[in-house]
Amino acid sequence: MNLKYELPKKLLEFMKLEADEEIRYCAPYDLSTDGNYIKDSYVAVTNKRIVVFFKSQIIHNISLFDCQDILCEKLVDNGVLSVIIGGQPYLLARFSMRHVARFAYIARGAKLLASGQNKMVVSLEQERICEKCGRAIPGTRECPHCDGRRATLKKFWQLCSPYKFNLLFISVLMVATSAFNLVIPYVLKEFIDRVLYPRAGGFYEVLIFISVILSLTILLITFNIAKNWWCASLGAKISMDLRAKLYHKIQQLSLSFINSRKPGDLMNRVVGDTSNIRRFIEQAMGSMLTILITMIGALALMLRSNAILTLISVVFLPVVIVLSRMWRKHIRRLFRNQRFHSDRVNSLLQDVISGMRVVKLYGREEDEIEKFDHLNERFASIQKRNEVFWAKFYPILTFIMGLGLYFVTYFGGLDVLKGNMTPGGLTQFVSYAGMLYGPLGWMTHLPRMIMQLVTGLERIYDVLDEEPEIADLPDAIDHEIKGDITFKNVSFGYKAYEPVLENINLEVKKGEMIGLVGPSGAGKSTMINLIMRLYDVDEGQLLIDGIDIRNIKTSSLHSQIGVVLQETFLFSGTILNNLRFAKPDATLEEIIMAAKMANAHDFICKLPDGYNTYIGEKGNRLSGGERQRLAIARAILVNPRLLILDEATSSLDTESEYLIQEALKRLTKGRTTFAIAHRLSTLRNANRLIVIDNHTIIESGTHDELMRQKGLYYKLVNAQLQMAALQEANAGHTHGRRGGPGGPPPPPR
Amino acid sequence: MSTIHCQSKPKGTEAKTEQSAYTDDILKIKYITKGNAKFKRTPGGFVSLEFEGKFYSRVSVYRAFPFTNPDSFISIRQPDEKAEEIGIIRSLNELDKETAEIIREQLNIRYFTPEIKKIIDIKDEYGYAYFDVLTDRGACRFTIRMNTSSVIRLSETRILIVDIDGNRFEIPDITKLSAAELKKLDLFI
Repeated sequence: MNLKYELPKKLLEFMKLEADEEIRYCAPYDLSTDGNYIKDSYVAVTNKRIVVFFKSQIIHNISLFDCQDILCEKLVDNGVLSVIIGGQPYLLARFSMRHVARFAYIARGAKLLASGQNKMVVSLEQERICEKCGRAIPGTRECPHCDGRRATLKKFWQLCSPYKFNLLFISVLMVATSAFNLVIPYVLKEFIDRVLYPRAGGFYEVLIFISVILSLTILLITFNIAKNWWCASLGAKISMDLRAKLYHKIQQLSLSFINSRKPGDLMNRVVGDTSNIRRFIEQAMGSMLTILITMIGALALMLRSNAILTLISVVFLPVVIVLSRMWRKHIRRLFRNQRFHSDRVNSLLQDVISGMRVVKLYGREEDEIEKFDHLNERFASIQKRNEVFWAKFYPILTFIMGLGLYFVTYFGGLDVLKGNMTPGGLTQFVSYAGMLYGPLGWMTHLPRMIMQLVTGLERIYDVLDEEPEIADLPDAIDHEIKGDITFKNVSFGYKAYEPVLENINLEVKKGEMIGLVGPSGAGKSTMINLIMRLYDVDEGQLLIDGIDIRNIKTSSLHSQIGVVLQETFLFSGTILNNLRFAKPDATLEEIIMAAKMANAHDFICKLPDGYNTYIGEKGNRLSGGERQRLAIARAILVNPRLLILDEATSSLDTESEYLIQEALKRLTKGRTTFAIAHRLSTLRNANRLIVIDNHTIIESGTHDELMRQKGLYYKLVNAQLQMAALQEANAGHTHGRRGGPGGPPPPPR
Repeated sequence: MSTIHCQSKPKGTEAKTEQSAYTDDILKIKYITKGNAKFKRTPGGFVSLEFEGKFYSRVSVYRAFPFTNPDSFISIRQPDEKAEEIGIIRSLNELDKETAEIIREQLNIRYFTPEIKKIIDIKDEYGYAYFDVLTDRGACRFTIRMNTSSVIRLSETRILIVDIDGNRFEIPDITKLSAAELKKLDLFI
C-alpha cells in the first residue's frame, strides 16, 4: 500500500521545508469534515510536522512533538485522522474507507517519529485499485492490465519452455490442419470444374474424388485428434507444475502471509487459476494458430481468385464482429442475471436449512415458505425468459451472420454467368468466405481468454514470487533447547499499525510452567505464536537459552516444541497416522507409551479397530476430550523441550477434564510450559501467572501473590467464582437440565 | 436446549454481592435528557459532555438503529477502544435545538453512507463492476466485486452496495430510479 504519494509541486512549495526536514508519509484524503467528496487534498507528514492541505491551502500545521497522540479512527464507512494536543482532541482529516488502512499506517508512523524513533512504517497490504487505469486489482501486487501483461506473458513462455518440443509438434499439427482445411475446397473446385461441369467423367472419376476427399478428411480428423490430445496433455502438465509449485510455496511461506489471505483465496489460486490456465492451453492455444493460418490463407486465396468479390465479403466482416460482440454481451448479462438469482435461491436455502431448528422453534415456517416461493418464482421467470430468448434469437442471429455469404453468392453467381468465374471457383470461394466468417465469434472472445490467462498467471506468480518472511538466516544453528526463555523489550503487531504486544519483558527458567491470563484479545496467543516463531518480533528480542530465536533453525526449533490447542486439528486418517504425524519413525511401543501417558490408551483399545481406527475428516468421529488426549499423546511423542497449551482443556466436560489435567501434569513435568486458559482453575499447577492486558504485562506472580495484590487477576478469579456459584444454584434449581458446553469451573485452590 | 435466565431465578442470586450490583447497573438504561446533561463543541471539532457530575472532554455518538430510526436511541460512549456507554439519548427531538444540532454534526462525522441519486454508468469487466454515480455527497466512482454479497437488500426497494474497499452506498428506493438507470442496475437486483 502506497504511504508516500507524490505531493504536487505547488503544495510542496507552500510547505517551506526546513533544511533537515523531509516528507516521510503523504496521502490524499477524500472527504471534507461535513462529509462531501473532495479532491486534491493531502496530508503530509515530515520528520517534524503534520501538514494538512485543503485543496491548495494549509489548514493544519502541527509540530509532531506537540502531539500526545496521533490516531486514525475507523468510524462507520469512513475514518478520521486526529491528534491530541494538551489533552484536547483535534480532527485533522476525514476519508472514505479507501484510505482508512493507509492513514492507520501513517498515524502509526507519525507516532513513531513523534516519539523520536527514526523508523519507517511500511505496508505489505496491496492496493485494491490500480492508480493508472482505475481497474480493480485482483489481489495481486501489480495490475494485470497495466504492468503485468507483457511480463506475465513472458512468464507464461518460460513456463512452457520445458515443453518446447511439444509446442513445436503442436504447431506443426496446427499448420497441417489448416493446410487440409484450405486444400479440401480446392479439390472440390477441381472436381466440379473438371468432372461435373463438363460432364467429362464417369464412375471412375467420382470414385477418385470421393477417395481423395475421404482420405483428406480422415487425415484432418486424425491430426485434429492428435493436436487436441497433445494440447490437453500439455495443459494438464503445465497446470500440474503450477499447482505443485504453488503448494510447495504455500508450505514454505510464513503464517503471516497465509493469514493475510483468506484461505479460500489461496485455494482458488491452487485450484481455480491453474485450471483457467489449463483451459486456455486446451481451448485457445490449440486453435489459435489453426484459425489464424486458415483465415489468412483463405483471404489470400480469395484475393487471388477474385479481388472484387473478396472486397464484398470483407465489407461485411465489421458488421458480423459488432453483431457477435453485442450478442455475446447481451447473453452474458442474461445468464449472469440468472446465476445471480440462482445464487440467491441457494443462499436462502442454505440459510434456512441450517437454521431449521430456529425456524421451527419460532413457528416461522409459513413466512419462510413465502419468502422462498417469491425468490423461486422470480428465478424461474428469469430462467424462462432467457431460454425463450435463446431459442428465438439464436437462429435469427446465425442467419444474419451468414447474410454476407448471400451477397457473395449473388455477385459471384453473376460472375459465373458472365463467364468471369468457373462454377467450381465460386464453390471454392464461398467455402473460403465461410472460413473467414466462422471463427469471428471465437475471435471476439479471444481478448477475454487472454485476459483470464494473464490474471490467473498474475495471481499465481503473486504467490510464487513471495519471499518467505521467516527464513532461516544463513548462519542459523541446530540448537538443543534447554528451556530458558527471555522476552526482551518485545513489541509485535500482526499489522504494523496495530501493536498487539508492546514492550514485553519476561524471563522464564528452564522447567517453569507459566500461566498466561487476561481478557481475550489481550495478546496471550500472540506471545505463544512468537515463541513458536510463526511470526518474528517487530522490535526487541526473543531469546531461547540466551540465543536469539532468529538464529535457531526453524526446523530444529519446531521439532522440540509440543503444542496442544483448544481445537485439536487431526487429519483424516487413522489414529496411528495422526500420532505418527509428529514423529514418523516412532515405534509401536513408543506410541502406546505416549497414549498411556495421555490417558488415551484405554479408549483407543476399546475402539473396534484399535489404533487403526479411521477417524474421519478432522477427527470428527471422536469426542472433544478424546481428540484432546490424542493431541497430548502426539505432543508427548516428540518429547518436547518446550510445551505450549492454548486453551487445551476448555470445551470439555468435567470428567474428561480431569483425565486431561492428569495427563497434562505428567506432560509438563520438567518442561518449560506456557499455558493459556480462561478457566483459571486449569492453571493451578503453574509456577507463575502472567496477567496481560492492554498489550502488556500488568501483573505477575503466584496465585496467592496475585490474590493479595487485588488487581485484575483477583477480579477475574472472583468473577469466575461467582459464575460458578450462580450456575451451581441454577443447576440445583433446574435439576440436571444443564447440558451443553461449559459446566461450572472448579474454583482454583 | 434450555437456557437459564439469571434474572428470573431469584434463588440463583442469593449471594447478592458487589458484582451483581454492578450487573444490575449495566442493565439499566441511563437516559441523557435536556435537563441532566450539557454537550459542547470542542475547538478540535468534536463534542464534550458534562453528565452526572462528570466531565468528558470528548464523547462518541452511536446510532442504535442507523437505518430504521436514525434520530432515536443515540448511545453516547467513551471515545476509546472499549467505548463504554455513558448514556442514551431517547430521541434528538427531545433535546433543545442547539444540542440536537451538535449531536447531528457528530453523527454526520461518524456515519458516512452516501445515497446514490443518479446512476451515470455501470461498466462490468472481468468480475468487477465499475460504478459512476452521483450521490448526495458529490460525484463518485467506485468498484464492486460481481457477487451476491456486494449488494445487500435492506427491503424490497432499499439496497446497500458495498465496494471493494468496504465503502457502502445506499439506494433508498430503487423504484424511484429512471428506467434507464434500472436497466443498468438490473444485473445486481
